Amino acid sequence: MTAVLLSVHVLAAIVFVGPVTAATSMFPRHARAALAGEGPAAPVRLLHRISRVYAVLAIAVPVFGLGTAVAMGVLGDAWLIASLVLTAAAAALLGLQILPAQAEVAAALGGESDTRAVVAARRLSMTSGVFALLWAVVVVLMIARPGSTTGV
Amino acid sequence: MLTALRVAAVVEAASLAVLLVNLATVHLPPVTQLAGPMHGCAYLAGIVLALSLPAPPMPSPRRGRALALVPGIGGWLVLRRAELNSP
Repeated sequence: MTAVLLSVHVLAAIVFVGPVTAATSMFPRHARAALAGEGPAAPVRLLHRISRVYAVLAIAVPVFGLGTAVAMGVLGDAWLIASLVLTAAAAALLGLQILPAQAEVAAALGGESDTRAVVAARRLSMTSGVFALLWAVVVVLMIARPGSTTGV
Repeated sequence: MLTALRVAAVVEAASLAVLLVNLATVHLPPVTQLAGPMHGCAYLAGIVLALSLPAPPMPSPRRGRALALVPGIGGWLVLRRAELNSP
């Protein structure tokens, strides 16, 4: 059963977090071009849609991760607690900064005022990069498991 | 987005039913370990979706969304509100 839960956790991370990372990293460049009138708006909306939908699906990753941790009996380990804190930070960044900023850009492309959208697009490069970095660190923590006897 | 909420509401209620029936009868650990996270996912997804639904399907930007927090049937409660409000 632990193997099943861990497989679902890793599979969900690849299939659901991957698209969010790719879409959020592509979004700023295309958003700036579209806001300046030099690029099409449809790809920007699609990238936002991918980020939003797969972000909701990615809820499965920490949920099945916790299920795996309970089955493995490692809930109190330092590397796991650190990973959970970093994951929570990444989720907060995604839900409270990245997705709202993307929505602002999408709304501006739909005809609303774009002064805030231009500022939002500029910050998105940084916040999207930090998001990817946070979960990359989590992956390494879960492989190396510092302080545990079972790390690689 | 209502379809997503519909899926979350169904999975939330169905997985809870599976968990409770399992608990009351054979109580197999594998059932708990699989249906538990599914129920948790559906519950959390229902809350996130209820918070992010735009105002036209939902009656207002604030009211009714906290219903998603109700365990087991929260997703269904929000879905009902949204469906009653859209033609």
